[in-house]
Amino acid sequence: MVLELKDLHCEVEGEGIEILKGVNLTVEKGEIHAIMGPNGSGKSTLAKVIAGHPEYEVTKGDILFNGESILELDPDERAHAGVFLAFQYPVEVPGVTNNTLLRESYNTIAASRGREELDPLEFDDYVRGKLDLVEMNPDFLERSVNTGFSGGEKKKNEIFQMAVLEPALALLDETDSGLDIDALRVVSNGINTLHGEDDAVVLITHYQRLLNYIVPDKVHVMLGGKIVKSGGKELAFELEDKGYDWLQDHAMVNGEAK
Amino acid sequence: MTLSKQTEPSMLHSLAKHAPESGSSTWNSIRENSLVNLNSVGFPHSRLEDWRFLDLRPISRTEFYSADEAGILPATNAENYFIPESDRSRLVFVNGNYSEKLSSIGGLGKGVTVGNLSDYADNPSVKEYLNKLVNYEDDLFTEFNGVMLKDGAFIHLEEGAKAEAPIQILNLYTDSAKPYVATPRILVVAEENSDMTIVEDHVGLSGNTYMTVPVSEVKVKKGAHIHHVRLQRDSENAFHIARPIAYVEQNSEYHSYTITLGAKISRNEPRVVQEAEEVNFTLDGLVLIDGDQVADTHSVLDHRFSFGNSHQLHKVVVNGKAHSIFNGKIFVRRDAQKIDSFQENRNLLLSNDGLVNTKPQLEIFADDVLCSHGATIGQLDPEEVFYLQSRGMTEEKAKEVLTYAFALETIENVKVESVHKLLIEEVYRYTKANNIETVNA
Repeated sequence: MVLELKDLHCEVEGEGIEILKGVNLTVEKGEIHAIMGPNGSGKSTLAKVIAGHPEYEVTKGDILFNGESILELDPDERAHAGVFLAFQYPVEVPGVTNNTLLRESYNTIAASRGREELDPLEFDDYVRGKLDLVEMNPDFLERSVNTGFSGGEKKKNEIFQMAVLEPALALLDETDSGLDIDALRVVSNGINTLHGEDDAVVLITHYQRLLNYIVPDKVHVMLGGKIVKSGGKELAFELEDKGYDWLQDHAMVNGEAK
Repeated sequence: MTLSKQTEPSMLHSLAKHAPESGSSTWNSIRENSLVNLNSVGFPHSRLEDWRFLDLRPISRTEFYSADEAGILPATNAENYFIPESDRSRLVFVNGNYSEKLSSIGGLGKGVTVGNLSDYADNPSVKEYLNKLVNYEDDLFTEFNGVMLKDGAFIHLEEGAKAEAPIQILNLYTDSAKPYVATPRILVVAEENSDMTIVEDHVGLSGNTYMTVPVSEVKVKKGAHIHHVRLQRDSENAFHIARPIAYVEQNSEYHSYTITLGAKISRNEPRVVQEAEEVNFTLDGLVLIDGDQVADTHSVLDHRFSFGNSHQLHKVVVNGKAHSIFNGKIFVRRDAQKIDSFQENRNLLLSNDGLVNTKPQLEIFADDVLCSHGATIGQLDPEEVFYLQSRGMTEEKAKEVLTYAFALETIENVKVESVHKLLIEEVYRYTKANNIETVNA
């Protein structure tokens, strides 16, 4: 098991507002999971909590990564262990080039996994090979991280970073939002190419349309801070047809919806 | 303004009796006039609007001594501060006194005059402009500098001349047994269509207490270009009170970048006066302070004619208990139309005990102008820190990188390569040395 969430509860640090209200989820190696749900259901929070965002405090339950709890690990330590979060809103870092950030990231992660670090020339060879995957120009490497990037470029950059860092678990938070059809194709091809038997992908998405390009093994629906329904890829089509309302009732039956 | 005319004499008034006497009659009259003015102004205090946020008592309570009495030690390791681009265009001043031995002014080409002001007392440009451009109302420090007038940097470019290399004006301040006061002076006259780069550097060689009161006058004539880098890395116990003023004529460009790293208390009052239409000027600043440092910038951009572009980006990083003050005045006179002026003061607070006072101030009397100004005070964005952490950087490293990125914008236009590199190193040194506190979001 790559990821196992056990009755995960969390709230915003210091505010006492519970956002996740007992999430259970198991993701096996080689799988792609999609987590869907309306705005405010807790999907993005879930991704951030797994990646270790300091704004959220886990009040109950556990997060196991490759069988071990990562609750006590800082975000950078989780990244070293192999967790990767593609941000919904990637951050601009003027003055730091993509190349610098990626080499720094690659080498710290490599060092913590006992792999060999790459010098700038070796890294250059390595990184250029990954550019094609997201159909980006090499001068992209010398631009400041996300600075002045279009929405689509920022999302491509996240997938590019994923390609370079080769995580064991990729959490993709609304990676499809704001993409035009060409960019969506590039991004999904990238994800499909990167995904293999040894890693797992969790897609967090609003829309079924991404799932036309990336076929998930499992689909989960989040409502009110819980996963209220899980199924195969056909569940996504059902949601497309019926929306979330019928599940709202289901959530009510379970007792705790907002 | 009668408030400022307090009669109680300060230590600067008493030090004025050590004024130099040699030199031409013109210079003697500058000193005499300055002395008269000095005796009519008092030491500034926080009841004056322009000094409201700055506590000058650490200065007024320090006992300063004349050069003869202060037990001044010689300059050491001066060469560490020479920039390679200026190996034949370097003026060095030790505590305000010209050092012929450390200076090197052989290689500037035709039409370029660089030297010690006192050797050029009879030069027509010196006669015409020295102490004529400086214009700070009722200002004790300017007058004191005038009283002590002796050495200084003089740069003159003939019409169409281009200084082949950046000109370094290196001010070194040496260790001493007792506090002293230095009064560096700069006069730059760029004739029509001339072009130069100036690197003005103030370096404290030890951790001692001293005060420096540099006054610089810059005249940028028609079509001339000046790129002026001002680097302040005084001793952590020093006081630095600077009065740099520039006058820009038609089609000229004056771009200045002031980097403030040192001194316990610094007060920088850059002013640019637009003297004709079609000018372009920059007055950018970067301040990196920590501990109990106080850095105060009071600037004036005075648009007196139409068609002027001005740019002022003033970025400040505050850590520890440091205190930054910014008051940026932009004047647009009534007949100065089509002015495009940008002013922004951005402050990054890294600690809970730091303090920032900021006051952008627009005074516009024309009706067809484009002026934007703003001030922000913020902490490192936790979302940005998290982003970099999620890419494997430690929290500390992420904060370093983000602070570096914040500061970088103001120094990327510094076009002297070694200085640009030095500034990047200084930013790194600052972020590392400071071990940035975790701020509660």
